[in-house]
Amino acid sequence: MTLAFVDYVILALYFAFVLGIGWFIRRRVSTSEDFLTSGRSVPVWITSLAFIAANLGAQEVIGMCASGAKYGIMTAHFYWIGAVPAMLFVGLFMMPFYYGSRARSVPEYLRLRFDEKTRALNAITFAVMTIFSSGISMYALGLLFELVLGWSFTASVLLSAAIVLVYTFLGGLTSAIYNEVLQFFLIVLGFSPLAIAAVERAGGWSGMASRLPQVMTHTWTYVGRASENPMGVEAFGLIAGLGFVLSFGYWCTDFLVVQRAMAADSMSASRRTPLIAAFPKMVMPFIVIVPGVAALALSHMSLGYAIPIKPGGEPNYDLTLTTLMAQFYPSGMLGVGLTALMASFMSGMAGNVTAFNTVWTYDLYQGHIRRHAPDSHYLAVARATTVVGVGLSIATAYLATHFNNIMDFLQLVFGFVNAPLFATFLLGMFWKRTTGHGAFTGLLLGTGAAAATHGLTLAEGKGGWLGTILHTFPSTMAQNFWIAIFAWSSCFLITALVSLASRPKPEAELHNLVYGLTKIPHDPSLPWYQRPLSLALVVIAALVLLNLLFW
Amino acid sequence: MSDLRVSIGAFFTLAGLLVTATGIVSRQRASLDTVNLNLYSGVVLLAFGVVMLWLAWRRR
Repeated sequence: MTLAFVDYVILALYFAFVLGIGWFIRRRVSTSEDFLTSGRSVPVWITSLAFIAANLGAQEVIGMCASGAKYGIMTAHFYWIGAVPAMLFVGLFMMPFYYGSRARSVPEYLRLRFDEKTRALNAITFAVMTIFSSGISMYALGLLFELVLGWSFTASVLLSAAIVLVYTFLGGLTSAIYNEVLQFFLIVLGFSPLAIAAVERAGGWSGMASRLPQVMTHTWTYVGRASENPMGVEAFGLIAGLGFVLSFGYWCTDFLVVQRAMAADSMSASRRTPLIAAFPKMVMPFIVIVPGVAALALSHMSLGYAIPIKPGGEPNYDLTLTTLMAQFYPSGMLGVGLTALMASFMSGMAGNVTAFNTVWTYDLYQGHIRRHAPDSHYLAVARATTVVGVGLSIATAYLATHFNNIMDFLQLVFGFVNAPLFATFLLGMFWKRTTGHGAFTGLLLGTGAAAATHGLTLAEGKGGWLGTILHTFPSTMAQNFWIAIFAWSSCFLITALVSLASRPKPEAELHNLVYGLTKIPHDPSLPWYQRPLSLALVVIAALVLLNLLFW
Repeated sequence: MSDLRVSIGAFFTLAGLLVTATGIVSRQRASLDTVNLNLYSGVVLLAFGVVMLWLAWRRR
C-alpha cells in the first residue's frame, strides 16, 4: 500500500483538528472535576457517541473484520447479544445508582456502597487493565502500519501517543469525549464506502451467501452444537457466557465506558446515553464485520483478491481490512480510511488514558496517598498522570506478546477480571443486605475461579496449567465463555454467603446506592423519545428484527 | 469552534472537498474499484460536513 500526497494531507488535517479541539477545550478546565469528570456538563448526543467510540479501538475494528472473515456473520453476536442487552441494562437499571450516588468513578461507587478495600481492589485491577489494553492496542497499530505502510514501529507508536497525550493533557475528559465523537464519525464514514463496495463487488448479500458455506451467513442456525460452527461454541455458552456474564461485566461495570455516561449533564441524559448508543452499536456489524465476510466471498471469485497468508501457510485474518482498503480505495479515500484506522486507535487509547487518570487520581492517590489537599493539587496530579499513563502504555506496547487472535486474548483478560465483577454490582445494587466483606471475598475468589477454570481445562492447546485436565473445549472462545460463567457463579454465591454471615451497613448509609432506597426518576412530562423505557423498547424491537433477518 | 458541530462540520467539509477533487482530477483507480469511489464517497463526506455546519448555524 502506497500513500499519495493527498492521503498525507488528510491525515495531517485530522491531526490538526484533534489538537485544535484539545486547544479550545483547555479553557474550560479549571478544577480537577472539570479535567476528570467533565464537570457533568456534556450534552447527551455527545456522551452517547463517545460511549461507543471509547470502546471502538483499532483492535476492535481490525479484529472484527478478521473475525468476519474467519467466523462469518456469527461474529455479530459480539454486538447483538454481546453488547446491546447490557447497554440497555446499564441505562435502565444501573445509571440511577452510578449517577445518583454522585460518585466520580465506578471504584468510588464501590467505596460508597461497600468499603475501602473493595474499591482499592477494583481500582488497582482496573488501572492495570486500562494500561494493558492501551498498550496492546498501540502494539497492534504499530505492527500493522509497519507491515502495510512500511512505517517504523517506533515512529507510528510515538507519533500517535504524542497526539493523544497533547489533547488529553490540555482538555482532559471533555477533550477526549469531544474527539471521540469526531473519531466515531470518521470511522463510520471512512469504512462504510469500503463495506458497500466490497459487498457490491461480491454480488450483494445473496451473491455472498451463494459463494460461502451456509454457516458463514447465519447467526443462530448453527449454534445448536459447537461442532457445527467455526467458533466452536454452543447456544448456552454463547448466551450465558458472552451475552450475560462477559457483556454485562464489561458494559455495566467498566469505568472506561460508564465514565462517558457519568459525564452527561443530567440524570435523564446519563440514563439515555447507553440507550441512544445502542442504535449505532447495533448497525456497527455492517461496517466492521460484513467487509470481512465479503472479503472471504471475494477470495472465492477470480478477481485477484485473496485473504493474506502467513509465512506458515495459514490465513492471516488480521490483514483482511487493510488488504481490502488497498484494493478498493484509490488515493484520497485511502487517506480517509487510514485516518479512520488511526482515529479508532486514538479513541481507544484516549478512553483508556482518561479512565486510568480518574481512577488513579481520585481512587488511589486521593484515597490512599494524600487525602486532604487543595483541589489545584489534584488537578496537577491528574495532568501528571496523563503523561505517566501514556508512558506506561508505550512501555506495554513494547512488551506485548503475540497471540493468534487479539480478540481471544482480550476475552481471556476480561474473563478473569471482569466476569466476577458484574455479580458484585448486581448484588450490591439490588440486595441491600450485601456487605463489603462479601463483595471483597466474592471478587477475589471469583477471579480465582476464573483462573482455576482456565488451569483445569484445555482448548486448542491453551490452559490446563494446573496439571489435571477436567474438560476439553472445542475452541478457546468456548473456554473463555465458560471461564466467565464459572467466575460469575462463584462470585455470586460467595458474595451472598459471606454477606449473610457478616454485619450489613445501616440503611441510612445506603440512600441513592441501592434499589429500594433510591428514588428512580420518572419523567412523564418528557416526550416518548426522551424517556429511557420507551427508547429501550425501540432498541429491543430493532434488535429482534436484525436477529431474525440474519437468523 | 466551541460548538463541536462546527469542528466536525469543518473537518468533513474540507476532507470531502479534497476527496471529491481527487475523484474528479485523478484517473487512478484501485484494482477492485469499479465506480470511482473517491467521487461518490467524497460527495458523501462533503454533504455530511455541510449538514453539520448547517445544524450548528441554525442553533445560533
